[in-house]
Amino acid sequence: MSLLAVFAAASLTAVFPGIDRAPRFQFGGSDQLAFQIRQGAPADVFASASPKYAQQLHARGLCSKPKVFATNTLVLIVPRANAAHIRSVYDLRRRGIKLVVGAPGVPIGDYTRTLLARLHLRSALSNVVSNETDVKLVVAKVALGEADAGFVYRTDVKPAGKRVIQLALPATVQPTVKYELCIPTKRKHSQLAARFVREVLSRRGRAALKAAGFGLP
Amino acid sequence: MAALRLDLSVALRTFRLQLALETERETVAIVGPSGAGKSTVLRAVAGLVGAAGTVEVNGHDWSSLPPERRSVGFVFQDYALFPHLSVRGNVAFAGPPGDVLERLGIEHLAHARPRELSGGERQRVALARALARQPDVLLLDEPLAALDPHTRDAVRVELRATLRELGLPTLVVTHDFVDAAALAERVGVLVDGRIVQMGRADELIASPATPFVARFAGGNVLHGRARRLGTLTSVELSDRTVVTSTDEAQGVVAAIVYPWEVTLARALPADSAQNHVRAVVSSVVPVANRVRVTVGAVTAEVTAESAQRLQIKEGEVLVATWKATATRLVSL
Amino acid sequence: MRAAFAVIAALALAFLALPVVAIFLRVSPATLVRELGDPVARDALVVSLRTSALAQLLVVVLGTPTAYMLATRRFRGRSVLLTLVELPLVLPPAVAGIGLLAAFGRSGLLSTSLAFTQSAVVLAVSFVAAPFYVRTAVAAFESIDETLVAAARTLGARPWRVFARIALPLAASGLGAGLALSFARGLGEFGATIMFAGSLQRVTQTLPLGIYAEFAQSFDVALAMGALLVAFSFTLLLGVKWLRSDWISPSRFAPSVSS
Repeated sequence: MSLLAVFAAASLTAVFPGIDRAPRFQFGGSDQLAFQIRQGAPADVFASASPKYAQQLHARGLCSKPKVFATNTLVLIVPRANAAHIRSVYDLRRRGIKLVVGAPGVPIGDYTRTLLARLHLRSALSNVVSNETDVKLVVAKVALGEADAGFVYRTDVKPAGKRVIQLALPATVQPTVKYELCIPTKRKHSQLAARFVREVLSRRGRAALKAAGFGLP
Repeated sequence: MAALRLDLSVALRTFRLQLALETERETVAIVGPSGAGKSTVLRAVAGLVGAAGTVEVNGHDWSSLPPERRSVGFVFQDYALFPHLSVRGNVAFAGPPGDVLERLGIEHLAHARPRELSGGERQRVALARALARQPDVLLLDEPLAALDPHTRDAVRVELRATLRELGLPTLVVTHDFVDAAALAERVGVLVDGRIVQMGRADELIASPATPFVARFAGGNVLHGRARRLGTLTSVELSDRTVVTSTDEAQGVVAAIVYPWEVTLARALPADSAQNHVRAVVSSVVPVANRVRVTVGAVTAEVTAESAQRLQIKEGEVLVATWKATATRLVSL
Repeated sequence: MRAAFAVIAALALAFLALPVVAIFLRVSPATLVRELGDPVARDALVVSLRTSALAQLLVVVLGTPTAYMLATRRFRGRSVLLTLVELPLVLPPAVAGIGLLAAFGRSGLLSTSLAFTQSAVVLAVSFVAAPFYVRTAVAAFESIDETLVAAARTLGARPWRVFARIALPLAASGLGAGLALSFARGLGEFGATIMFAGSLQRVTQTLPLGIYAEFAQSFDVALAMGALLVAFSFTLLLGVKWLRSDWISPSRFAPSVSS
């Protein structure tokens, strides 16, 4: 078993093990993973759902220069039953809609707020019933039907299966969602880590990412 | 119509309690060894244990009533005073206290908590609480057992007077024959769930129905084989000692001698008594102003003065003496 | 031998105390107090206190008669019920969360729309905290001398009066200890809440949820909330100790007959 520890954004949960099964993966909110690395957590690779956290670590000398390896887009999901009859993102202004989003500071949360601002839909934030700490929790609450709608990455829709319906958003308002890889410094397995990064950037890795719905840089 | 009529049957762990009893406005003591079912009698009357049969008070059938609808004044063995209530609170729980605190001389304790009271005081509070219920029947479970010997004598006298004055049908349970004799007009001896003898205390002493009753009444019980010799009966005990009685009996018997009918001497006395036992003193126990001296198989009770005069000590040899008329025989 | 035990004990105690002490040493007390003024911390405190108070009210009002029944009646299936009551004690919070969703979720058994409301927090807190109260309350009622209950009944008290005037006051300190334990557990509730009630400032974000949301964003605020929880829990546990020593002290019921 490889001793390689890969800390990756929650939205990569379904795709990374398909590229390489060997490492120990820890998936979570990118902000929390970055925090843990700052605290000295034993991460050999960091895959962030936002350039912000990888760049922050790099600026502090805590990891190598980040490389963009994937992009993503946001979608609006609703439960299959769609009891709230949400047909488009503009329905989110209606009172009483239960909207679940990522918390501010969590990449999906920040992207969601950027998107809503570009749509002039900040009023929809008053319908937020929960600020979740990572995107998987947003998906779970919509998939269970507890929430009426939620903003998630396009790549989260497929794992949720038939329980959710995806509503597309105008391409013009999409924030730039870039995934970046970097290799934390002062770790023993930097060679293995470099190999894992190469694998993700390889043709096979890119194909896996694409199949999962990611965009490629 | 009896004030209290019982005909009870309760299954206990190893035997069945069966009791039929009628009392007027009098005190009946139920005595017996631990585990004889004495307390169960009281609990059955109060409705605290399920019992087949009838409990009838002044002509009313209580059998199907829950405890709270049976008009009993129950004084529990450890008094069961509510620790979180004052004396007055305890008494008032049962009903308006009226003058019951004054009557029992505890009005000065009205605001005290049970844990601040002496044993005798607790006993009076428990009785006051039972009386505040204005009960039709009074039930006392070992009312003196929790008291130290000194307090016990005083409280016994006091309780006897109170019971006479109240004139309620009262059942007293006790394991002590002296308490029973002092408090009750009639005494029933309960063994393994059945009354083996019921009567006045002096009747039980004079003619015990079984060796158990005799031992309970404080008698020496000596087992042996009886033979009629002329007008007397001689009983040969297992240690070959021969005891003589005026009672008629044949075969296996229990010979009963009460300690207060036995005298002690240093040498064999030249007297009319038929029974003399010369043996080693195995114990000397002072009881109030008397001393209980065990000589061989026989226990004698003599005054403290006599004991001092004879300078009785354990390990010495003494002669115990009693008359043939003081030897009761019970055929077994 | 004694020295070895002392060393081990010292190490163990240091291990237990260190994280707690560290919360207070990491930043100055002044910073802690200042960070408690942060809106996130303040709102989380208000939500925590409000939902805990409501949850404990629910726990006491429903739990006391339940505990009394379990302590005083003997019936078939009693031990099964006792086990059922204690089950949430050993369930992982995540299971509690899933269970609450399955029961009270929109598509759950009862199909309510409680999720994401403060009521959902109250339910989650009640669910995980109630066993602490009920269990202690059962023990408190069971420890009441049966003779006192029998005495009360012979004195004419119906079951309700026995409960109110005898059982409740005698079990009071035990009930208090149970409530303090339940309160402490409820304040710390996290897993079931985040799954069933979500996390929204001023609505469902309790102190533990606040700490989780903030620890990567603003560690000092998270520390301040942590310090607050430590202080609460410590006070509650002290309360439990004090109530318990009173409750099980033998002198309280023993007939200390004076000699």
